[in-house]
Amino acid sequence: MKNFNINKLQSRDSNPTIWKSILSLSCLTVFVIMISSCDNFVEVDLPGSQLTANAIFEEKATANAAMTDIYSKIRDAGVLTGSASGLSHLLGNYCDELKFYGDPQNSTVAFYNNSLIVSNTEVKGLWDSSYNQIYAANAVIEGMDKSVHLPEVDKKQLKGEALFVRALLHFYLTNLFGDVPYLTSTDYEQNSIVKKKSVTMVYTSAKEDLEQAIQLLPENYVSEDRVRPNKYAAHALLARVDLYAGLWDEASNEASAVLNNTELYNNEGDLDKIFLKESTATIWQLAPGFSRGNTLESVTFNFTSGPPPLSALNDSFMSAFNDNDLRKTHWIKAVTDGTTTWYHPFKYKYSDTESSREYSIIFRLAEIYLIRAEARAQAGELIGAKEDLNKIRNKAGLGDTLAGTQSEILDAILHERQMELFTEFGHRFFDLKRVGKIQSVLSIAKSGWDTRDVLFPIPEVELNLNPNLKPQNSGY
Amino acid sequence: MNNISYYKDGKGLYCLFFIWLLISFSSVYARNTIRYSTAFTQQHQIQGTITDGINPIPGVTIAVKNKSGTSAISDYNGQYIISASATDTLLVSFIGFKTALVPIKGRKTVDIQLIYDTTTLKEVRVNAGYYSVKESERTGSIAKITSKDIENQPVTNVLATMQGRMAGVNIVQTTGVPGGGFDIQIRGQNSLRTNGNNPLYIIDGVPYSSDPIGTGINSAVLPTQPSPLNSINPDQIESIEVLKDADATSIYGSRGANGVVLVTTKKGKSGKTKFAARMSTGTGTVTRFMDLMNAQEYLNMRIEAFANDGISPIPDYAYDVNGTWDQNRNTDWQKELLGGTAVITDIQTSLSGGSEQTQFLLSGNFNKQTTVFPGDFNYKKGNLHLNVNHESENKKFRINTSIGYTIQNNNQPRLDLMREAVKISPNAPALYNTDGTLNWENNTFNNPLRNLEGKYSSKTNDLIANVMLSYNLTQDLQLKSSFGYTTLNNTETTANPSTRYNPAFGLGPEFSTLIASGADRKSWIIEPQLNWNKTIRQGKLNILLGSTFQSQQSNQLVQYASGFSSNSLIYNLSSASNIFTMVSEETEYKYQAFFARLNYNWQEKYILNLTGRRDGSSRFGPGNQFAVFGAVGGAWLFSKENIFKNNAFLSFGKLRASYGITGNDQIGDYQYLNTYASTGINYGGIVGLQPTRLFNPNFGWETNKKFEVALETGFFNDRVFLTAAWYNNHSSNQLTGIPLPGTTGFSTLQGNLDATVQNRGIELTLRTVNIQKNDFNWSTNINLTIARNKLLQFPDLESSTYSNQYIIGQSLSIQKVYHFTGVDPQTGIYTYEDVNGDGQLSGIEDKKTIKDFSPQYYGGLQNTLRYKHWQLDFLFQFVKQINYNESIYFGVPGSSGNQPKAVLNHWQQLGDIADYPIYTDGTNSTAVDAYYKYFESDGVISDASFVRLKNISLSYEIPLKDVQCKLFFEGQNLLTFTKYKGADPEFKSSGYLPPLRVLSAGVQFSF
Repeated sequence: MKNFNINKLQSRDSNPTIWKSILSLSCLTVFVIMISSCDNFVEVDLPGSQLTANAIFEEKATANAAMTDIYSKIRDAGVLTGSASGLSHLLGNYCDELKFYGDPQNSTVAFYNNSLIVSNTEVKGLWDSSYNQIYAANAVIEGMDKSVHLPEVDKKQLKGEALFVRALLHFYLTNLFGDVPYLTSTDYEQNSIVKKKSVTMVYTSAKEDLEQAIQLLPENYVSEDRVRPNKYAAHALLARVDLYAGLWDEASNEASAVLNNTELYNNEGDLDKIFLKESTATIWQLAPGFSRGNTLESVTFNFTSGPPPLSALNDSFMSAFNDNDLRKTHWIKAVTDGTTTWYHPFKYKYSDTESSREYSIIFRLAEIYLIRAEARAQAGELIGAKEDLNKIRNKAGLGDTLAGTQSEILDAILHERQMELFTEFGHRFFDLKRVGKIQSVLSIAKSGWDTRDVLFPIPEVELNLNPNLKPQNSGY
Repeated sequence: MNNISYYKDGKGLYCLFFIWLLISFSSVYARNTIRYSTAFTQQHQIQGTITDGINPIPGVTIAVKNKSGTSAISDYNGQYIISASATDTLLVSFIGFKTALVPIKGRKTVDIQLIYDTTTLKEVRVNAGYYSVKESERTGSIAKITSKDIENQPVTNVLATMQGRMAGVNIVQTTGVPGGGFDIQIRGQNSLRTNGNNPLYIIDGVPYSSDPIGTGINSAVLPTQPSPLNSINPDQIESIEVLKDADATSIYGSRGANGVVLVTTKKGKSGKTKFAARMSTGTGTVTRFMDLMNAQEYLNMRIEAFANDGISPIPDYAYDVNGTWDQNRNTDWQKELLGGTAVITDIQTSLSGGSEQTQFLLSGNFNKQTTVFPGDFNYKKGNLHLNVNHESENKKFRINTSIGYTIQNNNQPRLDLMREAVKISPNAPALYNTDGTLNWENNTFNNPLRNLEGKYSSKTNDLIANVMLSYNLTQDLQLKSSFGYTTLNNTETTANPSTRYNPAFGLGPEFSTLIASGADRKSWIIEPQLNWNKTIRQGKLNILLGSTFQSQQSNQLVQYASGFSSNSLIYNLSSASNIFTMVSEETEYKYQAFFARLNYNWQEKYILNLTGRRDGSSRFGPGNQFAVFGAVGGAWLFSKENIFKNNAFLSFGKLRASYGITGNDQIGDYQYLNTYASTGINYGGIVGLQPTRLFNPNFGWETNKKFEVALETGFFNDRVFLTAAWYNNHSSNQLTGIPLPGTTGFSTLQGNLDATVQNRGIELTLRTVNIQKNDFNWSTNINLTIARNKLLQFPDLESSTYSNQYIIGQSLSIQKVYHFTGVDPQTGIYTYEDVNGDGQLSGIEDKKTIKDFSPQYYGGLQNTLRYKHWQLDFLFQFVKQINYNESIYFGVPGSSGNQPKAVLNHWQQLGDIADYPIYTDGTNSTAVDAYYKYFESDGVISDASFVRLKNISLSYEIPLKDVQCKLFFEGQNLLTFTKYKGADPEFKSSGYLPPLRVLSAGVQFSF
């Protein structure tokens, strides 16, 4: 084999003429100058697949894309996703709505057994994706404040939407984890050492955001099918926050703001149409990712033969239904193998259709009626409360409520919320908590229930990375 | 001469290269000849055979003493023909043998027997990348293996061939599934980023990006994304050199921090046209299984668990024990799912030959491996390699071209069955119904074979081409340029047909999904260089100047399709009703550098070597793009001092040292930009844009300061050769993804952290020639590395996000864990030391036990024995380390899922002293909480040291006249000696198939 042996070449120093050495040296010099003279070689252009953050918010189309991507994220991951790792499914198992039948190694088991640990990955996922969505919302808010060329009307719309989303996610975080930070900036230096705020403070911040959102957002929807929030979506969330905060009059007023707009909203009479995408009882819903797609809820809950591959409705939940309740047959489906019968939520009926028929509804009119009913009952307005409650009952084929006293009415409302809002983003769990009945109800319904379980553990990794988030919720 | 004018007119040397490139393919050079003045009078044809006493030696150079320009090379039968006069003397030389001077003395036939000589090994030239040095004169730290070691191993990945054979190079296989990757660390972990510790790979002078190809989403069956290094065929490698210290790596500047791996492919040799072929067939099986419970033990455990939990009757969901499943079935699922035999077929052929001026090598080969999983899965690799070298008659101009093309086709299940195989209940039902369909046992059995319904497939085409042109302007000055081009094309698909779901979900093909990705990577490089030699007084000065222009472009498109009309159309994207683009990415990397080397060698006794490089890279933001790196190295060959001359004991002695700075730019492209990227996800008709990362434009190179001092000594005529090296490297200005709490919206931030990591170690290599006879040879190579990794400095570690991960003064591979204190005899629950005494286990404050996962020492012991026509070669690899033990695979004892047999020794009643806790199905939350803390304790960490017969090869050369024919047997991972109870001690990625034991046999012949 040949070696390109450079040393061979030097062996004979036969022609030591001066010009040759000079030639060699000058050659070296030219070489050095040439190769060190073009530093701009290493400059590269931005790839076609990326845009700078500043440019994004100067154009309507891209600014909108930044905002709608947050809705996609909310739909696909985190607290509000209809998938098995969203609250509808996890909290359904965590309290007394669902029973888990699936693979014992499935991550839902820890929720069903109320045996969450500080390193639970689903809990961490809920935490992380919520704050990731909040970051994106804050980026939109900051982008709108800085934007020069975007028309004012679009700035207002997008900033309003982002504020609404920020309030919404913090609302869920504080209800799951108790005291949590309320983040209003994208500054990671601040956000990585942020301290917790009390639940009351979180509600106060959320209210501020929502009040501002109400100012900014338009009356009408900017999109087809109500997939982007308008002013009334912010009212609806504000009504809920006020109810949770025990601000009865304000909750009642915010609810009325929505209910009074009968042009937009109509308490759909047919139970089978409530969850269709064109329902006028819908205040805000999430569009599917595909043109033929429907909701992730239908994939999570629906099954055709038993035993259930994932979860089915709990026996105690099924027995809580009045026999005449139309919801029991219209929103629930029975599956039997001949000897055993299982029931699954059937609010969302379609999986694959020629064109989408159902979207995942986050806010709908029934909840607003029930919010106002409860707020009114709490404020002593019993007649008004019963009126609102009966609207929901009648629609479900039930007669007017027989409840008379304030506490009877409140109990009736709690029961109605259970039957109306089941497997919708953990309403049942949050309701039991805020009315103070969670221990008494779940310690009977759930063998693994423990007092600590009213709050999820804050992911341990978070406490380690940011000790300002300490202490851990008690019991973990 | 004509050519002088080219550079006299000063138009620019680049032009020269391109002109040369053109004219080298034209006939211009044919005219440009120098007449040799040597008169070939009274010449005779001398012929003969060259042997080592037994076998013919091909490739031996036969020259005529004092007559340059006349030489021959022996052919495959050791035969040569040369013209010489009767009084001439033949000069016969070959690497590994003593050079022989044979006077012709009027003979026509001169048979020559060469004598093995270990001393000449130090005369071998070692490739240092931009230059080569004589082994004895190198100032840097370079480890080398050659095709002799590589050929003996039945492996397909180039890194596998290096395992256990090089000091300071730690290589760990990540999966036994073919097409997977290897982790490599040269002298420890320098960067805090776990993916920032890869060496730079250079193949025949062309940098080869080792960044993983494809997408992680697609290759779930592999623990890491497929490595492009699989494209390199070990059989075509002539040598692998690993550059370790500053002296050797500083000339690679910003890319040299983690060492450089130089791969040199085989070249054509002049001589008779030779055809060679090598065929082998082998089998691969899992090295060892875990010892798990049988059905009876398992069911007893489950029943006891429910009894402990006070749950009666046994709930509906516990199909394994509530009577739903047959209580009398007993299946060894590891054997069922991983117990297959992989069949390995390997065929290599080559054709080579040429004249003294032009040589060629054409080789092609094919390799196929099936898997140990049930079902029809395989990995195929085909490869073509062409090398052509040419030298002009006047020896001034040289061209050297290599082109390699590799096609890989990997078909694997979507998921590795390892994790499930150890956890399935031993009484789980049969896999198939009588009609051959998958058995879901009335929706109660999550059949593991559903994972085989999903298919992962990867196709990679890879071209590496390079041209090296050189021209000697004068005797002292050589102008040279290398041109390289690589292109890599990878397509991956993961098909997830609806048949992998339990039919109870009622999910049809509309729920089938396909992830399809395509990746392209193209790069070119031009490296013009000038090399100047000058003898100054009694020393030789060598100056090398060069520059690099490199550009790499990558594209990636990943699409997710769902809603198929039929499962048989699953690979047809147009039959999917929904397609969305998950990744659509293009990146460009540009790199420019100027480098220099100055070497002064005084009487081959004192050597000074200066190297430096100024680098610019597009990976950094404006103002941070350029940096300078450099090193100084020196060597003193003290055995050449008069005092040691003719010393019978010490035959060679060299002391060398080096110090310098290298850098690391492995951070990916565009990280300094604040950008939004398309998500491909549709919402209400708008495709989303998301923030790509947290924004930090101000980061620069990671720097690694390396210091090494080494002593190389040869004794008894170099029959005992010992090298001892001590190195101390400091890696600082750490470029890292700083972990952030989730509240920031992201998990990391890219930036420079003023932290320093020290890697210190001793590397010993000992080569001995134990017996050196004509028909019996025995030599031994031992290497040993004792390395320590230490975090020296870290600003505000305690308050940083790393506080849970690192400790100043400790290695980067530590884990802080609870100290496991056994099962509480009172409660049967796992207990841990409550360090701060607050009555609870509160994470970091109680995780005070430190476990270092970096190997304490490792090495290899290789023996080569040759007796007549037999050759035996075996390598023991040894590593002293700890690792997660088998417990890491299993859930709470008593819950659904099998357990190791050792778990039988569990707590049952008050006062029991047991290894394992009380059984529970999962409702005993104190027991469950305590059990999960086990995974964060030292209880799951065990000694995982091992000694392994990594490789053995036995061959027999059939003595034939015109054909060289060899029969061989090879084995990989044959024997393992370890106390470790988990899957495989070598192995770090639990949940994946461990490396296989391979046995292979075949035949090799050439004529």
